[in-house]
Amino acid sequence: MTTDTASAEVGERQQPGAVADPRTRNVLIVGVGGQGVIMISKVLALLCQTQGMQVKQSEVHGMAKRGGVVFSHVRYGAQVWSPTIPMGEADVLIAMEWAEGVRWLPFLRPESGVFIADTQQVIPPFACRNRQFGADMAYATETPAEIIGRVSDGFALDAGRMAEELGNARAGNTILLGTLSATLDFPLDDWLSVLNQFVPKGTEEINRQAFLLGRDWVEKARQDPAGPAGLAPELAPPPIQPDIDVRLEITAEWCKSCDICVKLCPERCLELDEQQIVRLKDPDACTGCRICEWLCPDFAIAVHHDNLAEANA
Amino acid sequence: MTETNPAGFEIRDYLRLDLMPHFMCPGCGHGIALRALLWAVHELGIEKDELAIVSGIGCSGRVGGYIDANTYHVTHGRPLAFATGLKLARPDLKVIVITGDGDCLAIGGNHLIHACRRNLDLTCLMLNNEVYGMTGGQVSPTTAETRLTTTTPAGNTEPAFDACQLAEAAGAGLVGREVTMQTPALRNLIKQGLEYPGFSFLEVISDCTEIYGRKNDLGESAEMVLSQKSDMRPEAYGNVADQPFRPNRLLTGVLARNERPEYGETYRRHADGVANGGKAGA
Amino acid sequence: MTAGMANLHGNHACALGAIAAGCRFFAGYPITPSSEIAERMSRELPLVGGTFVQMEDEIASMAAVLGASAGGVKSMTATSGPGFSLKQENIGLASMAEIPCVIANVMRGGPSTGMPTRPAQSDIMQARWGSHGDHPLIALAPASVKEIHDQTIRAFNLSERYRVPVMVLFDQVIAHLLEPIELPAAGSLDLVERRWANGDDGYQPYAAGADGIPAMTRPGDGHRTHTTGLTHAEDGFPTQDPDTVTRVMDRLLGKLDQHGQDIEAFECHDTKDAEVLVVAYGISARAARRAVRQARERGIAAGLFRPITLWPFPEQALRTAADQARSVLVPEMNAGQLVLEVERICRDEVRVAGLNRVDGQPIEPSQIARRIEEMAADD
Ligand code: SF4
Ligand code: SF4
Repeated sequence: MTTDTASAEVGERQQPGAVADPRTRNVLIVGVGGQGVIMISKVLALLCQTQGMQVKQSEVHGMAKRGGVVFSHVRYGAQVWSPTIPMGEADVLIAMEWAEGVRWLPFLRPESGVFIADTQQVIPPFACRNRQFGADMAYATETPAEIIGRVSDGFALDAGRMAEELGNARAGNTILLGTLSATLDFPLDDWLSVLNQFVPKGTEEINRQAFLLGRDWVEKARQDPAGPAGLAPELAPPPIQPDIDVRLEITAEWCKSCDICVKLCPERCLELDEQQIVRLKDPDACTGCRICEWLCPDFAIAVHHDNLAEANA
Repeated sequence: MTETNPAGFEIRDYLRLDLMPHFMCPGCGHGIALRALLWAVHELGIEKDELAIVSGIGCSGRVGGYIDANTYHVTHGRPLAFATGLKLARPDLKVIVITGDGDCLAIGGNHLIHACRRNLDLTCLMLNNEVYGMTGGQVSPTTAETRLTTTTPAGNTEPAFDACQLAEAAGAGLVGREVTMQTPALRNLIKQGLEYPGFSFLEVISDCTEIYGRKNDLGESAEMVLSQKSDMRPEAYGNVADQPFRPNRLLTGVLARNERPEYGETYRRHADGVANGGKAGA
Repeated sequence: MTAGMANLHGNHACALGAIAAGCRFFAGYPITPSSEIAERMSRELPLVGGTFVQMEDEIASMAAVLGASAGGVKSMTATSGPGFSLKQENIGLASMAEIPCVIANVMRGGPSTGMPTRPAQSDIMQARWGSHGDHPLIALAPASVKEIHDQTIRAFNLSERYRVPVMVLFDQVIAHLLEPIELPAAGSLDLVERRWANGDDGYQPYAAGADGIPAMTRPGDGHRTHTTGLTHAEDGFPTQDPDTVTRVMDRLLGKLDQHGQDIEAFECHDTKDAEVLVVAYGISARAARRAVRQARERGIAAGLFRPITLWPFPEQALRTAADQARSVLVPEMNAGQLVLEVERICRDEVRVAGLNRVDGQPIEPSQIARRIEEMAADD
């Protein structure tokens, strides 16, 4: 894994003061790898540049395609100094993954910040509290309704489903971009022309539709907070780890005391007994990972997941 | 993606249980390789009756005998030649050769390069532990330079073969390498070899703890398999080395794949041509 | 090749005999003076659905033959001196694991590279003892093109029936001799097929019945047996238990003993009353036949005993043939090999002498005739 911190400075040559509203605005875009966080921040940065503003964009990415956290700070205005947004100063927090949105909430301006979140859930492997089957998930448990009630201005939408209904499941990030546009003061045409420069050839029209869908969705939610757009969608319940019974079958006659299993068991739950034969010293710690089974050169350990079929059913 | 959970794979179903425990030393990587092989065989649904295992001499040569299949333990260095005859005569069989670094690259080196060239549908699993273990730990063609063996008392002065490069250069259809610690990955590699219609050469980095490891102070088996793993450059990550912390000298994964005609097919087509009015006979 | 009369070289007759015997796999490596066998097989095998492969070396071709035979297909290879040396280890495996196979060895002058294009009979002892350790095998020595054909067929039959490697030993002269022979019609031959295990649950691959020959199993037949060059028990798995080893080795080494009648082939000419007996095989027997006839014409009671099976040597037949003999002459194109066996078998009072040539030239009838006369005079 590589982690890059990039601080891009664009629009440096723009004259400060050419902007009507000189206050620096802060947009924080968060998500996980592969969702398009960087694309949204680039569109926004370029748009600001075309508006004659100074922009600073700072991002952390890596683990792309592997569900790692990705975030991007975009700051723009007449004169921007720091590339990163301090706690409590984001004007807009846009989250492409639900729990990420919840996690970054402290960055939002408490009195005026706008919160936009996709209710899509990407549950990372480390959300699992431990490696036992049936262990609790440490994934955000707050519901969209709770969060929206907590922020000054909040929107939660299921952009993935909306994009699918539109006919291109990959246009979810463009929908979110559309929602973002509804919260910032830039002309619609400028948004659309910048967007056009970013989308793949041949997908301009579908992306335009997706963008407008997201933008309209915010408008509708504002007009009718109790209407279909305003109501926060339900979250899918977090997946439950099947509770599988793990049983270690040890064939003592085959064990040659090589110690591989003892040393390489991730939970350190094996040991050699007085006769130097393998024994499970800590059954509760065993997660059934099978590493001992795979690495025992003498096939002396078999790991059974006894009720696996029922658990999966 | 293949299942990493071997539900339904019971290694006992593929072993000659009355011969167990096997005769290999504690911690010998050959046992792990055997598991990966049988797991691959299981997942591909290869019937034991149609499976033929041919092995040569040395520790690797004894591995095949524990498999409940048609097993042949032949002369030193010659399992590939024996297997060539078997497969040509019986194309219906799935023929796997289990060999070692000495068996395959030293005494049997000529057969290896010609098996690669011919591209008959065989899978050659070379268990490389860098030493002649059975005879007490003499230097082999893959022993790393400076290593101590019973015939290199002051350290090996000969360079080692890169068996995969050798096989690739000789034209093997599919070439791959894996370490034993990556058991599921090793199983996947073996599956690819078994599915490849032609000659596949698979090198397994195995550990000989009792003789080679001890002599060279390489630690116990756990340490040996761990260091083998940290030495690898998986093809899945582009075979890159992250110098200088890890030299990562071992390229692993499928290292070469050529779509070449399978020799058995080619021969039978040729023979049919001859039989149907070709140039043969007096 | 269809039945009827044909003019054939010995090497071609060997190939056609193999095909007629049901050989469907040949692996070989080019070597003078046997290469024509491989060449002919490369053309004949595709016509009968068989497989020919030229391997990377002599060792590989022997190993491939064993592989194919283990797969259940009648298989052979052909070679000459240096190649024969290289094949020995795998011939030992064939003996030990009881894998049928036929090896044609067209003998040439040796040792080492020797005289590749000149004939010899100098691999007789190597045929018997070339591979290390005690091991059973059969060696046949045809003396004509016709006999090469017939003995090659017989080699397959013996190999399949007794599960031993069978060698067909002839020399460069007959290999390249053109002679008319009558080829048998397909279906007119008595061919032996391997006895296969019948699917019994208790099947043990190396447990034999009264005939000493275990039934074999093919991969795919469901027995999933182990085949090894290690000393193995009846179940096929290695053992070093002294009692077991004694039992299985006694069977292995003695398994041909009770089948001498079938295995030992020989010819006797005027041996009943022969006082001077010539024991000759292969090309030398042709010269000996003529010499014996000439001796008879001169009133000498000479006779010819011609073993066709050299190993196991037809011991009893020689004793009978030498019953009246006072002296025995063994002409061979080597420095004296089979003569040792003859000496061992004959009664102590019989004088056994060799007539040897190692110059790459066949022994001439006149040479033998002269020695017969000398021996008759000495008696
Ligand atoms: S399955 Fe084996 S390696 Fe995994 S935690 Fe249990 S004992 Fe340890
Ligand atoms: S890996 Fe196997 S043989 Fe080694 S100590 Fe563990 S159970 Fe015993």
